[in-house]
Amino acid sequence: MTISTVGSGMTPSPAPAPGRPRGVTARILRRAWGYGEMKAAAFLFVALALLTVLGPLVIDASATKISVADKFLPPLFMEGGRLPHVLGTDQLGRDLLLRSLVGLRNAFAIGLTSVVGMFVLGCAIGIYAGYRGGWVDVLLMRLTDVQMSIPVIILAITILGVSRPNPASIIAVLVLASWPVYARVSRGVALAERQKEYVRAARIIGASDLRIMVRHIAPSILPPIAFVAVLDVARMMIFEAIFGFIGIGIQPPTPTFGTIISAGTQYLINAWWITIVPGVLLALALGSLNLMGGVLERARNYILQGGA
Amino acid sequence: MALGSPPVPRPEAPLMEVRGLSVAVQTASGPRPVLEGVSLTVAPRAVLGIIGESGSGKTVLSRALVNWIRPPLAVTAGTVRYGGEDLLALPEARMAALRGREIAYIGANPTSALDPTVPVGHQLVEKLCAVLPGTARRDARARVVATLDAVRIPSPAKRFEEYPFQFSGGMMQRALIVDALVSNPRLLIADNITQPLDVTVAAQILRLLRELQKEFATAVVFISSALGIVSEIADDVIVLDRGRVVEERPTGALLRSPEHAYTRELIAKVPRIWSGAARPPPPADTDVVLDVRDVERTYEVRDRSAIFATRRVRAVRGVSFTVRRGENFAIIGESGCGKSTLSRLLSCLEAPDRGQILFQGTDIATLGGRDLLALRRRFQLLLQDPYNAIAAHSAIGATIAEPLRIHGLVPRRHLRARVAEVMAEVGLAPALYDQLPAGLSAGQRQRVNIARALVLEPEMLILDETLSALDQVEQAKLLDLFERLQTRRGISYVYISHDLAMVRRVSARIAVMYLGRIVELSGNHALFARASHPYTRALLSAVPTVEDKPYPTATYLLEGEPPDPIDIPPGCSFRTRCPFAFGRCATDDPALLATGPDGVGRACHRDADDLPAVVPPAAGQGGGARQAEGAEAP
Amino acid sequence: MAFAFEFFLRRLSQGVVIVVLVAFVIFTLLRVVPGDPIRIILGPMTPASVLEETARALGLRDPILVQFGRFMGEVATGDLGRSFIRGLQGGSAGGSQDVAGYSPESRASVAGLIATALPYSLQLAGLGVAFALLVAFPIGIAAGLRAGRWPDRLGLYASSFFVSLPNIWVAVVLIFLLSAKAGLLPAIGYQGFAYTIIPAMVLAIELSPVMIRAISVAVAANLGEAYYDAGIVRGLSRRTMVARHVLRNAAVPLLNLFGAQMIGMLLGGLFVVEYIFSYPGIGMLTISAVFQRDFPVIQAVAILASGVLVAINMLVDFASTMIDRRLKF
Repeated sequence: MTISTVGSGMTPSPAPAPGRPRGVTARILRRAWGYGEMKAAAFLFVALALLTVLGPLVIDASATKISVADKFLPPLFMEGGRLPHVLGTDQLGRDLLLRSLVGLRNAFAIGLTSVVGMFVLGCAIGIYAGYRGGWVDVLLMRLTDVQMSIPVIILAITILGVSRPNPASIIAVLVLASWPVYARVSRGVALAERQKEYVRAARIIGASDLRIMVRHIAPSILPPIAFVAVLDVARMMIFEAIFGFIGIGIQPPTPTFGTIISAGTQYLINAWWITIVPGVLLALALGSLNLMGGVLERARNYILQGGA
Repeated sequence: MALGSPPVPRPEAPLMEVRGLSVAVQTASGPRPVLEGVSLTVAPRAVLGIIGESGSGKTVLSRALVNWIRPPLAVTAGTVRYGGEDLLALPEARMAALRGREIAYIGANPTSALDPTVPVGHQLVEKLCAVLPGTARRDARARVVATLDAVRIPSPAKRFEEYPFQFSGGMMQRALIVDALVSNPRLLIADNITQPLDVTVAAQILRLLRELQKEFATAVVFISSALGIVSEIADDVIVLDRGRVVEERPTGALLRSPEHAYTRELIAKVPRIWSGAARPPPPADTDVVLDVRDVERTYEVRDRSAIFATRRVRAVRGVSFTVRRGENFAIIGESGCGKSTLSRLLSCLEAPDRGQILFQGTDIATLGGRDLLALRRRFQLLLQDPYNAIAAHSAIGATIAEPLRIHGLVPRRHLRARVAEVMAEVGLAPALYDQLPAGLSAGQRQRVNIARALVLEPEMLILDETLSALDQVEQAKLLDLFERLQTRRGISYVYISHDLAMVRRVSARIAVMYLGRIVELSGNHALFARASHPYTRALLSAVPTVEDKPYPTATYLLEGEPPDPIDIPPGCSFRTRCPFAFGRCATDDPALLATGPDGVGRACHRDADDLPAVVPPAAGQGGGARQAEGAEAP
Repeated sequence: MAFAFEFFLRRLSQGVVIVVLVAFVIFTLLRVVPGDPIRIILGPMTPASVLEETARALGLRDPILVQFGRFMGEVATGDLGRSFIRGLQGGSAGGSQDVAGYSPESRASVAGLIATALPYSLQLAGLGVAFALLVAFPIGIAAGLRAGRWPDRLGLYASSFFVSLPNIWVAVVLIFLLSAKAGLLPAIGYQGFAYTIIPAMVLAIELSPVMIRAISVAVAANLGEAYYDAGIVRGLSRRTMVARHVLRNAAVPLLNLFGAQMIGMLLGGLFVVEYIFSYPGIGMLTISAVFQRDFPVIQAVAILASGVLVAINMLVDFASTMIDRRLKF
């Protein structure tokens, strides 16, 4: 709905009203921060992040040292639990809280790195395809079709399953499997931006294609796609867990959620907490990321649809 | 509130009475009033005009009349009484029973008023069946096709099955008028319905609305920002200024003797074409700067009705003209005439399929790399849309400095000083240098845009509808700026526009385009006073003004719409709408024959003397308008 | 209809190219990774001379392009090759049984293996999507219609909650709660329809958040379109506008989502879920093939998967252009 009173004032004013939020990204963030959910999720996320850093320093136990005497200890809130094992121990007597925290840190590192990788790769290809158009565009977009039509899991188990998985190869697989999403979105944005007058204006003053792509189109990519990146960090963390579960993730003894959950399934009846409790921690971390992503998406939709 | 005595006594009870209506918009810094204490009365079968500039709250008022105020807007006081009830207090269900049945509404944006995925006819039938329950679909369909035919939509049975995007703006607006009047409402709210349309199409819509209003005896509230349009249709006019009613008078009286200062200002702002004095065209050198020779541009679009077939859209068909140093040349035409394609060709963003564009003797299509960059410096184009032409994410100073960086013209340390100089020249406060363009007005944005082009000190500027989004005052200021630059630097300007009044004020020679061709090229005065092509006359006759026209609307009003540039009829491309076409027009395509110096000429088989005689314009009325505006300019 | 004919001709030819490219990528990948397939076929005890002879006889020493050409030729005739590992009876033949030599006839045909597993996967996928739609449609539409109000928040919470549950963990939790503790439903393996229910629930939890988000965004966006308000002012009821117009327009982005994103997610989810539940579908077949390096099965599944994706994308795009005539193809 357009209102004739908004944004069409013809009287020149000396300067924009003070206190007015400026760029689109800033306005989206401001709007998002207005949600209570955003604050709660951010708080949870920061708390968990601090915990992964401080936990190993404070807790007097080891994530990897086997201690048969302490095996199958339940969490503190259950009968039989005892310190320092707040969340109990696993089948080899290792502290579950510490294992979870280290796992969380590794998962987050892999998730963040891979999202940065796919974001940069995807956006570069997408902007180029959308801006150049023509056969370059057709070719690159068909390439994303090809890429997208190989499910992530098939690609991952094919590559990781037959070679020796390590963090770098896991990140590579995730980037390889997910860049097309970014390529498509940024290609759409580039295509739309290319039609806009300011790009035409930049061409008229003689700006080169590279300059237009880097200086003008790239900054427009962030607002529509930032929330996807936030959600994808969580998605990549889930993939990391799945890889570990299947046995194609980071290899033991380094703790990951996948291997913790996978190992725990054998003791589900007698020591369910080995599987369930670390999962809750992971779900909390993912939940905070996803809630932030969801709120960012709403804020983005609101701002891009003309809200102030 | 009636200040003048109404010409016809209207004894009946009013249809709608608005009393003390106030609406506010909720902003981050609290509510801001949009309408304040608006009162008005709509009599049965009368046409009430509401005039106001953008920002006056007229769209909000029109929506309040159908109780369509949505957050962040809110009604803060007042009543809208209709049939003894306050619409604003009606429960949603009761209001829904009135909307579309007794009170109809047509908005300014016809192309987005219907579901884009359903054929137009089906949506009209849907509405008909909704407002008249019990109508059989077959009957409804027949009735809709018949009314589409009655409003002169060609081949209505075929159009019935077409989608909104296949309708032109004018056709869509006709369809929506049918849609609004099909339930025979007692009141029609028409909010700026001619705004997005070309003048010749707007004139048709206005005539149609007038006819139907008489036929159906519907009362109409007609809202517009163009006094020239309101004065053609309204019995009484309300003047709205920043949310307040400042004057309410019968139309004739308002125009003759406006009482409120704002009304007088408003009337003074209406562009004059014939009664105002044009600026004397600046003396032009004899050397040709730009030489456009027989340029053609065709686009291919995919044809959905055949296999692997494309159709050729002939956007520009053999256009030739020359521009001399220091000259103001103008290209006018309505949407679809090819002027935007021509602007893309001139700005070297696309190459013509045929023909040449010579800038100081060099064919610009052959340039590349360094040469093209050098050309761009001397040859700039200013775009239409002040909102999109500057990037939202760059600071204003950086935007203006960008050309200097690209061309490496000024050492980095002098950049800021040079930009500040240009900003001062175009009238931008130096404090804006580090700001983002978010809060700028249209005029300021256009100044940024102009500064970015001027910083390169070009020899030629092409202005593609550059000033059309601005109001008269702002336009006049920028035109003064252009004139100063011209005298100082000898710049040549090519104005590409649909705004006849603006073109009248600034240009020395004018080319009129229709369907990708120049149909008439003439000197400024000659074109407006003695237009010799039927299309030019039709265009001039349709301009909404408040002055007497030498070309009566009734004589020249065009039928129908311009043909699709895919299926250009053989012979003269204008003959399908030309009131003066004869046998030869259907077979021979008239060429633009130069009949005078400077390439002045026309493309028509009729002799200019065969066309109806030109009515000499009455002198006097509002003649001082331009001077008044000139006084306001800095 | 000329348009439909051209559309399918164009897209089918593009689709074939894509499938061949995918096949080539997977085919090459499997032949450049470490590990000689002939050792897998014949087992670790086979003498080197026999290995080399059999490899030559099977054409495994030819250049990759030649092998690929031969493979595609067979695929074109409907022959997806034979498993390296699995015997005709379906069990793992393992290398050591035929040390003396390898006869492809003793191994199961890949097409046959897929044909056996496919119905199970289809059943699981169908039930999973049905569960997901059952949850996502009401929540998504309510959230879209009441943007900013409590149904919208519910949609945000529900989608953020579901999407934060890793499927492997949800699977274990559901097995623990519904099967091990409560004994309501069976979980591991397949002996009847009941074995599909818990895996389908896991799939639905994975799919529904994406659906909820997409549906609510599409519906809310259309409520903001000019035609919606205009329709109500024209005299149509809110219900008519939502039922006949908003949902129709919202279907276009949703169809695209279901084509491009959802099928990929569904396939991925299917693989993981089948593996966790030892559910005898395509996913289980593929994952065990990976661990056994049974390359013919892997490449056949990859080709099949990309073929399905290409076909579904084609149908989805066709449906979209039929709904919204402005779309190009």
